[in-house]
Amino acid sequence: MSIKQRIQIAIYVGFFALIMCAPMVLDPFWLNRIAKYLVFGMLGVAVALSWGYAGILNLGQGLFFGAGAYMLAMSLKLASPTSLQQGSDRPVPDFMLWNAEPGAPTELCCITKASFLWLPFQHQWFGIVMGLVLPVAIATIIGVIVFRKRIAGVFVSIITLALVLLVRLVVIDAQPVTNGFNGLTDLGVFKIGELELDPYIVPTYYFVAIALCLVLSGARLLIETRAGLILQATRDDQNRARYLGFDVPLYQTFFFAVSAGIAGIAGMFYVVVSEFASPTFMDLTFSITMVVWAAVGGRSSILGACIGAILINMISATVSETEGFAEAWKVIIGLIFVLVVLYLPRGVAGLAHDLIDRLLVRRKAPSRHPVGVTDASQLAE
Amino acid sequence: MAQTALTIDGLGVDFGGFKAVNNVSLTVEEGELRVLLGANGAGKTTLMDLVSGKTKSTEGRVFLHDTDITNWEEHKIARAGVGRKFQIPSVFKDLSVRRNLEVASCRNPGVLANLRFGFSQQARHDVDRVLELIGLTEEANRLAAYLSHGQTQWLELGLLVTQSPKVILLDEPTAGMTQAETHKTSEIVNSLKGKHTLIVVEHDMAFVREIAERITVLHLGQVLAEGNVEQIETNPKVREAYLGSKGIG
Repeated sequence: MSIKQRIQIAIYVGFFALIMCAPMVLDPFWLNRIAKYLVFGMLGVAVALSWGYAGILNLGQGLFFGAGAYMLAMSLKLASPTSLQQGSDRPVPDFMLWNAEPGAPTELCCITKASFLWLPFQHQWFGIVMGLVLPVAIATIIGVIVFRKRIAGVFVSIITLALVLLVRLVVIDAQPVTNGFNGLTDLGVFKIGELELDPYIVPTYYFVAIALCLVLSGARLLIETRAGLILQATRDDQNRARYLGFDVPLYQTFFFAVSAGIAGIAGMFYVVVSEFASPTFMDLTFSITMVVWAAVGGRSSILGACIGAILINMISATVSETEGFAEAWKVIIGLIFVLVVLYLPRGVAGLAHDLIDRLLVRRKAPSRHPVGVTDASQLAE
Repeated sequence: MAQTALTIDGLGVDFGGFKAVNNVSLTVEEGELRVLLGANGAGKTTLMDLVSGKTKSTEGRVFLHDTDITNWEEHKIARAGVGRKFQIPSVFKDLSVRRNLEVASCRNPGVLANLRFGFSQQARHDVDRVLELIGLTEEANRLAAYLSHGQTQWLELGLLVTQSPKVILLDEPTAGMTQAETHKTSEIVNSLKGKHTLIVVEHDMAFVREIAERITVLHLGQVLAEGNVEQIETNPKVREAYLGSKGIG
C-alpha cells in the first residue's frame, strides 16, 4: 500500500468520524439539516460516478432522485394516520378523495382511475424495494437505448435533461395519483421494526450517516475494481476501449444504473428526513445544482463531490440566514462557483490532491517526476 | 506450411456509388508482416476499417483463421483476435501509463467478471514486460496525457501487445515521428514479427525497408501488386501509379 493510498483511507475514516460525531455538538434542528445535506452528499457521489468516472454528464439526476423519493413516499403516505381516516377500512390517501369522481368508492382499488397502482405500496418494504428498482430500471432502459446508439457527450445531457422535465410534467399532470403539484405530504413515519425514525431524533441521523458511509465506501471500492478502471478507459477514449474488445455501452449502462440507484437511495432517505416528496425534486435547477456540487467538490473524486454537496449547502444555509446577506447570498454562492471553475478545475478535491503530492515529493525529494503528473488511479499501486 | 491468419476475400465497400475498396483479396500468413502501400485515397485505411469492423463492407468476406468475422461489431472482432492501432494515436489520457496497459491486460471483457480488485501475477508480469519493450518503464506512473507524441504512439502499440491479438493492424505507426523515434518503432515492430501477424499501413519508405517482408500495393481501391521490396520497386505498374519514375524513397 502506498503512502498516498494510506492518506486517502485516513481522509475517508476522518470524514466518517466527523459525521458520526456531529450529534454530540448539534441541536436537533441542525442535526436534521445536516442529515439532509448528507443525503445531498449521496447525490454528489452519484454525479461523480456518472460524470467524473463514466464521462456521462447527466443533467437529469433528479429523475432518479425523484423516482426513489416518490416510491417510498407512497408507502409512507399510506402509513399516515390521515390516510386511515377517510372512511375506509384500509388506508386511502386524502388527496384521492378530493380528486375522486362523485360517487366513486372510497377504496384504493378504484377511487380514482389509476389509484390501483398504490395497492402494493401498503407494504412499506414494497416502496423501499421499488425506490431502488425503479431508478435502476429507468436508467438501464435509457442506457441501453442511448449508449447502444453511441450517443455521447452533450447529446446525452440534453436527452437526460428533457427526460427529467417530461417526467416532472407527467407527475404534475397525474394529479389523481400523485397529488400533482402539491406532491406527497403529511407522510407517516418510517419504521424499522418497532423503531420510528422521526426526522428530528438522533437515531435517524445515524441511519442517514451510516448509509452515506456505506454508499461512499461502496462507490469508492467499485471504481477501484478492474471494471472501474475499464470504465475510466471508456471515458477517456471510447473507440480505443472498443477496439481492445470491451463492450463500451455495457459498461456505460452498468455504471449509469449504479449511479441512478444511488440517487434513488438518496431520494428515499430524503423522504425520511424531510417527510415529503414533490415534483420540485425533478426541477431542472435541482439537477443542475447537483452537477455544481460535484464540480466544486471535484467530479473525479467520490469523496470530493460528496463533501462539495455538504459544504455548499451548509454555506448557503449559513449565508442566507446571516443578516445583511439575506438578499445577496445567491450572488456569493454564484461567485464561489465561478472562482472554483476558473481556478480549481478539478474542484476542492483536486486541490487537496496536489497538496498531498507536493508534501510527499518534499518528503522524499529529489523525485523523478514533477508535481501534478500522478493520477488518482495510481493510488492502487 | 504456415497457416493462414487472415483471409480477405473479394472485400469491397460502396459509399453511395463510390467504391473506396473494390474487390480486394489478400491472404496473410501467421507470423507474417505485411505492408500496405498506396497513394492517398488508395483505400488502405478503409481496408483496415473494413477488417476491424469500423466500416461495414457491402461485398466480400473476412476470415480470421477459419472464423468468418465479416461485419461483426468492433469489440467482438477485437475479442476474436484482431487488434488495431489508429492513425491518430489514441490512449487513455487520464490514466497512468501502467493503468493503460492494465486495461488492455483484462482478458475477460464482461462487467461482472471484472468486479474484482487487482491483477494476477501473470498480468503484472506481462505489463512490466511490455513497459520494457516500448521503453516506458521510467514513465510507468505518469499520466498518458503528459507523454510526447512518439511515446504516445508506443504506448498504443503497447496496448496492442498487452492485449496480444493474433492479428495486429497498424495504421501509420510512425506518423509524425522523428527519425530516431521511427527507428525505435521499427525495432518494436520487428520484435513482434513471428509472434503476431502484422498488417502495417505506412508511407515512410525508410521505415518500410526496415520492417517489410511482403508488400501489397493498393491503387484506387484495388490490389495493384504484391511482392517483396525489390519486386515492388521494380514493378512498372507500381512505378507508374504511385512511385513516379524515381523509384522508392
